[in-house]
Amino acid sequence: MSGRAEGGAVERCRRLLAVLSAALLFASPTPAFAHASDRGHVLLLPTGYYLIGGAFAVAVSFLVLALLPAASLDRFWHRRMMLFSLGDKARTAISLISFAGFAILVAAGLFGSRDPLSNPLPLVIWTLLWAGLTLLQGVFGGLWSWLNPWYGPWRLVTRLFSAGDEGARRLPGWIGCWPAVILFFAFAWFELIDPAPDDPARLAFAAGLYWLLTFLAMLVFGYPQWSRSGEFLTVFFSMVARFAPVEREEQGRLCLCWPGAKLLVAEPLPPSGIAFLLLALSSVSFDGLSKTFFWLGLFGINPLEFPGRTAVIGSGTFGLVLTFVLLAAVFLVAVWLGQRLAGSDQPLARAAGLLVWSIVPIALAYHVAHYLTALLVDGQYALASLSDPFALGWNLFGTADMQVEAGIVAGAESAWWLWNIQAGAIILGHVLAVLVAHGFAWRLHLQPARAALSQFPLTLLMIAYTVFGLWLLATPTVG
Amino acid sequence: MADKNGFFDLSKTAFTRRTALKGLAAGAGLAVAPGFVRYSQAQSSAPIKIGFQSHRTGIGAAYGRWYEKTTAAAIKAINAAGGINGRQVEVIIEDDGTDPGRGAEVVGKFATQHKTDIVFGTLFSHVVIGSAPAAGENKMPYFVVSEGHHVASTKLNRYVFQPGITDVKSQIQSMAPWIAANAGKKVTQIFPDFAFGYDHRDYLPPALKAQGAEVIAQIAIPPTESSFTKYFPQIPPETEVIYHVMVGPAVLTFVKELGEFYGSNRPQLFGFIDSLEATDINSPGLEFLDGSHFWEGSPRYAQPDDSEAQKAYRTAVGIDDNGAAVGDPKDVSTAAHMFGCWETLYVVKKAMEDAGYKGPEDRAKLVEATEALTAFAEGPEHPQGAKTFNGKIHQCFGIQNISKVEGGKLKVVHKTKIEDGLYEAEGDYTTQAL
Repeated sequence: MSGRAEGGAVERCRRLLAVLSAALLFASPTPAFAHASDRGHVLLLPTGYYLIGGAFAVAVSFLVLALLPAASLDRFWHRRMMLFSLGDKARTAISLISFAGFAILVAAGLFGSRDPLSNPLPLVIWTLLWAGLTLLQGVFGGLWSWLNPWYGPWRLVTRLFSAGDEGARRLPGWIGCWPAVILFFAFAWFELIDPAPDDPARLAFAAGLYWLLTFLAMLVFGYPQWSRSGEFLTVFFSMVARFAPVEREEQGRLCLCWPGAKLLVAEPLPPSGIAFLLLALSSVSFDGLSKTFFWLGLFGINPLEFPGRTAVIGSGTFGLVLTFVLLAAVFLVAVWLGQRLAGSDQPLARAAGLLVWSIVPIALAYHVAHYLTALLVDGQYALASLSDPFALGWNLFGTADMQVEAGIVAGAESAWWLWNIQAGAIILGHVLAVLVAHGFAWRLHLQPARAALSQFPLTLLMIAYTVFGLWLLATPTVG
Repeated sequence: MADKNGFFDLSKTAFTRRTALKGLAAGAGLAVAPGFVRYSQAQSSAPIKIGFQSHRTGIGAAYGRWYEKTTAAAIKAINAAGGINGRQVEVIIEDDGTDPGRGAEVVGKFATQHKTDIVFGTLFSHVVIGSAPAAGENKMPYFVVSEGHHVASTKLNRYVFQPGITDVKSQIQSMAPWIAANAGKKVTQIFPDFAFGYDHRDYLPPALKAQGAEVIAQIAIPPTESSFTKYFPQIPPETEVIYHVMVGPAVLTFVKELGEFYGSNRPQLFGFIDSLEATDINSPGLEFLDGSHFWEGSPRYAQPDDSEAQKAYRTAVGIDDNGAAVGDPKDVSTAAHMFGCWETLYVVKKAMEDAGYKGPEDRAKLVEATEALTAFAEGPEHPQGAKTFNGKIHQCFGIQNISKVEGGKLKVVHKTKIEDGLYEAEGDYTTQAL
């Protein structure tokens, strides 16, 4: 065993040396082609004004809210428009269909095309699920609780063996959603740092293994318990769904509410929940940051000759952790300072656990801004690939030969539109975050003046994060 | 499927892009694919397998997309005309992420997992350099479309070839006679301060000197720079030609600021289209380029005197008269480089036929047959133009285009001769053991 491992290590070293020596041979001239790219058009836009305008908009919303009477806002937030009732009888069936689809996708990952833009697995997981479904959750609410590929199979198995919903084992209370935090970190690392997250076979193994382990955990701890504590996608999607302007009441009645209104009635998150939400925002922020000339410059990497993901695994891992630590530290300091300013005796954990919900609209805004172009182009590849998942020349949905129009995100005009949508999303997300944070401040502090004062440091953080988010979209980046 | 004029009529074939490129799934999938039994019964009817090391993701993705389209079109044409040695050709795409580390892995995968006959299609130089040792170790013929001088320098190994696109040293050298005769004798170079720029820094001055012109200043710009105004005062006032090869997202800013610096009274401008591949020449900020000149490997815009072969090639790949995707006019192609995929595949076809290639056991024969090639005539297989091939340095030599920005288009005003780009061989791969 050790011999094999050593042999592998020696082989790896030898290969590395071969690559390095080849690279050294060419320390002299080698061409590279850094594409002028659509960020080039953004560099010509007056983005500086947007940065100032964005900061101003967030600051003004803070001031306006501070002056508005709490009661009128409260009435506004609580408005609901009843729609219709929606039973959950079909939930098992839909989840089973979803599971079947997932199994086919994993098979496609293993046996279909090796091209990540022709194989449906990476396109569905990264583009339709991660980039797309997150946005749908933010608009329509808890779709994932119907679509996830575990509920149906779990329900089937527990019914077959007449087992209860709760599972055989209880998780200790202190565990909160720490397993989900760890798993989300692993997911983010795989997406952002791993050299080949798009490789169909690699992704099929990762996704298949994750499904299996999660399913086993659900059998042991029960679906409800593991969904709350360990299944990071459910934890993430249910947090995002809290922003949605659609609400499904206990009896199954659907109603419309204001975006973010459901956040205000949320219970304080435990420390693990705080960590989870901050990690969700920090990871997407780091994804943007890691591609900037600024970040690469810190590590002496020439962005015009980017050496590829295998060369930045160390700095990437460091950056992913650092962004989280910095965001968490700044957030907690802002909340703590706010509590001090307001002279509150509430515990920091409760204040932070409530106020962290205001991160949800920001995380969603970053998600929109960050994945918009991928969604527009790779979304088309996804539609095409679904018609022929195994590369056998099928045309199941008539989309197999559709022309993928990459031009949709190309050129100066598209760059203008995309920039405005992205900048608009970032600014709106932060304004909503200020609004939500104010709602919580009134829950934490009875006196309006104290409530407003307590929000001052957090508002400063949100202004800074607005500017940071806009800068990420405006600064030169790789690719 | 060639018509009476000898050109491919693809509309009459049943092949689609997908049957060409996606037809071959992973090895395990093949076992259940229809046709597997047929292939296993008779190896001679099994398809030739080409491993396409593709920049599907990473910084090369914009090029990768067009390399994929061109490759698909070429394979479709080759298969429509009967394939190679009577066998159909199938392409297996593996994404290298434009990453040298993964590039080497991908070559290994092609050799041991997919067991492809050759590996093909790499563009970015650092990926070629990172992958070449793996190709050598696996004795895997590796046909790159990179434009780098690394193959011709003979510092790689005997399995690496670049027969479908000229190398940058040859390109730069062949620009010198036209620049000296038409643009001016006093040249200032502005280039990014890394390897890509150093090619131009090092190869242009001696070539210009041989033509009685000179480089009077060389301005290296740090790669992370996004504003250039402070560098322009370094341009000597007596400059007659500014030779610029900036790349990256700040190119548009560079051109815009250069325009603001000079106004209407500027020296001649000469650049390499690499700066603006896949970018619309009519983008805001690029107005200053009107009347300036660019190197182009193959012209982006359709020209009035395009050969029938060039027209057929453009139709097959799916680019319109402006060099953008047919039906998607904002999707500007990488026309100056991607023709190399088309031409390389026809060189592979010729070499396999010359070698009587049957399977991976004949890879050494394929290497020798490729080395024995000397010239490729202009025509449907080589629409960019005639080429010669030096089997000792595994590199082709061909004509280059010099195009003028005029009326929002690039108009070819000069085609160089093959001889303009020839240089002394720096070594000999054929002396290496196979």
